[in-house]
Amino acid sequence: MNTYVLSKDHLKNLALELINTGYKVISPSKDGRRFVAISSADDLVINSNLKPSSVSMKEFFFPKTETLFFYKRNKDEYDLIDAAEVNQPQIIFGAKPCDTSAIPIVSKVFNWDYKDEFFNKKVENTIIVGLACKFADENCFCTSVGLSPVSEKGSDLFMIPLTENTYACKVISEKGKKFVSNHSKIFTETIDGKSININEIKIPEKRFESKEVKAWLDKNFNHKLWDKLGENCLGCAQCAFVCPTCHCFDIVDEECNHTCGRRAKNWDACQFEIFTKHASGHNPRNEQDKRYRQRISHKFKYYTEKFDEILCTGCGRCTRGCPVLTDIGIILEDINQLAKESISNN
Amino acid sequence: MKQLIDISKELFESKQVGYIIGYAEDKFKRVKPFVAYSSLDTERFVFNNNSVNNLAVYLTRLPKAKEGKIGIVAKGCDIKSIIALIQENQIKRDDVIIIGVNCNSVVNQIDEQFSKENTAIKCKYCQVRTPAHYDYLVGEIKEVELPEDKNFAIMQKLDSMSAEEKWNFWEAEFEKCVKCYACRQVCPLCYCEQCIVDKSMPRWIDSSATTKGNFAWNMIRAFHLSGRCIGCNECERACPAEIPLSLLNRKMGMVAINEFNYRHGTDINQPTLIGNYNVNDKEDFIM
Ligand code: SF4
Ligand code: SF4
Ligand code: SF4
Ligand code: SF4
Ligand code: SF4
Repeated sequence: MNTYVLSKDHLKNLALELINTGYKVISPSKDGRRFVAISSADDLVINSNLKPSSVSMKEFFFPKTETLFFYKRNKDEYDLIDAAEVNQPQIIFGAKPCDTSAIPIVSKVFNWDYKDEFFNKKVENTIIVGLACKFADENCFCTSVGLSPVSEKGSDLFMIPLTENTYACKVISEKGKKFVSNHSKIFTETIDGKSININEIKIPEKRFESKEVKAWLDKNFNHKLWDKLGENCLGCAQCAFVCPTCHCFDIVDEECNHTCGRRAKNWDACQFEIFTKHASGHNPRNEQDKRYRQRISHKFKYYTEKFDEILCTGCGRCTRGCPVLTDIGIILEDINQLAKESISNN
Repeated sequence: MKQLIDISKELFESKQVGYIIGYAEDKFKRVKPFVAYSSLDTERFVFNNNSVNNLAVYLTRLPKAKEGKIGIVAKGCDIKSIIALIQENQIKRDDVIIIGVNCNSVVNQIDEQFSKENTAIKCKYCQVRTPAHYDYLVGEIKEVELPEDKNFAIMQKLDSMSAEEKWNFWEAEFEKCVKCYACRQVCPLCYCEQCIVDKSMPRWIDSSATTKGNFAWNMIRAFHLSGRCIGCNECERACPAEIPLSLLNRKMGMVAINEFNYRHGTDINQPTLIGNYNVNDKEDFIM
């Protein structure tokens, strides 16, 4: 597929046109902390050097709270009313490979035994414009989970900085191709995709072998490492809520008043004590070490077994935000080390 | 550091403690909470401007020591929360050994470089750089450069706002809340065995992160911490949505001081503000 050259002005014009034609245009916020829907093209932030936002962009596919339907009491019965369908097209700019790749990864669970139309519809309605990343700090580990600062996974279009003011924009998906042809006034100049120099982009060193981590997890459901991790962790679930790949939700009914209400799908997380609490009062994950073990095992073992994907993109958000600096990268390095030791001991 | 390690070792060797909660560096030299179970472990202990965490939170989270007391390394502000826990009958004075540290202020965020600009605002008004209460005291006081109080102007502005304007301000802030409850989990004084938001049979507080649910949560927490918050600012530091929770806490603290002349966590023997009825208490500011 083609590769185009876009200047910052082109991008601004594109954003303006999209805002004017009813798109929800999403970009990192000016301070780079969140992804926000912008209402002026001047607020578009395209910057490869940005730190990953504190909170990921998952809320645009999987909102923190989403109405599934409303209910209304009608004498002795209940009428169910569909939630208003949201068909607004959206476009996301400035998403890093560790953001974009999360979408195909979690799509697998949202389309496993049941197709989650709420999630799917939003993905269908979204154009994702990925951006090569030049950030990489000690918390990042995309290269250890099969990705890199130039991965195109999950993007419809993918941008790589060429000069201060210009970007190469590669067309990745059919959806991206269609989008480009609909905006042919902006996408005019093409270049040879193979001629783009990505050597300038620092590729972080691999920190661990995910296969070795999984092999260790297979055999070490009980291990003193978990006790140590559970001890420091406060169980706040910040890590899950900022994570692009954490996708657990809770379904609740909430009353507006005694005759009507709504059923909602809300973010939930395995770090909460109440998450696995049974109605009987029994709690299989009654302690934080078990809950933290679940976090690591779900991402590097169970999800891999079930969906052949690692449920982590190495963005480092959970580490940066953790109030006690539980560093998932260091933990995975430690597990890899333990795996190596157990191989050499055998 | 040597003082801190020597005292900790002595506490283990004389079998006075089962474990000591302190700070240690990870492989990237970042300071974080660390629990030492032996004299050898204590060699990892550090204390510096990056020792941000209020370790008192672990006093109600970790299991009791199998033998001996719990040792804890604490700054003056953290010690206020230890005193508060004792005032509120959550721990006994005899169960803890407090290694107080002379503190030269701390960084705002755990992984930032310490500098004047990055210094926590609470340090500006600190009266307890040398802790008011401890079993051992280590470290030296140095001259420190204090940060600007960026929040003071916002607080003044909030005070002058109408109820509607205040509502709009907090609505915009609470809109960002993702209901992760990190503010609760890091708070040394949020120790309820079952938080009201976790009561699901029946539900009292909407668990959804809607305007209603977010207001309910943040207001309930503010109420429950009124006259109890000791201002360590851990909640604001932990909040991934960057909601300025300290504005609420400081306001509540000021009400307790101005209306009742009460400062929580300063005197082990003083009855708590909420737990004590005084016929002379003012009522005029209530509605
Ligand atoms: S953010 Fe940190 S403290 Fe909170 S649950 Fe996750 S690992 Fe534990
Ligand atoms: S687990 Fe942490 S590093 Fe992995 S995707 Fe989630 S936030 Fe990023
Ligand atoms: S408030 Fe005082 S004791 Fe607490 S960190 Fe700041 S200077 Fe240290
Ligand atoms: S409410 Fe916040 S500032 Fe107050 S004691 Fe709790 S964590 Fe510290
Ligand atoms: S830490 Fe912040 S986002 Fe999380 S529940 Fe508390 S106020 Fe909301």
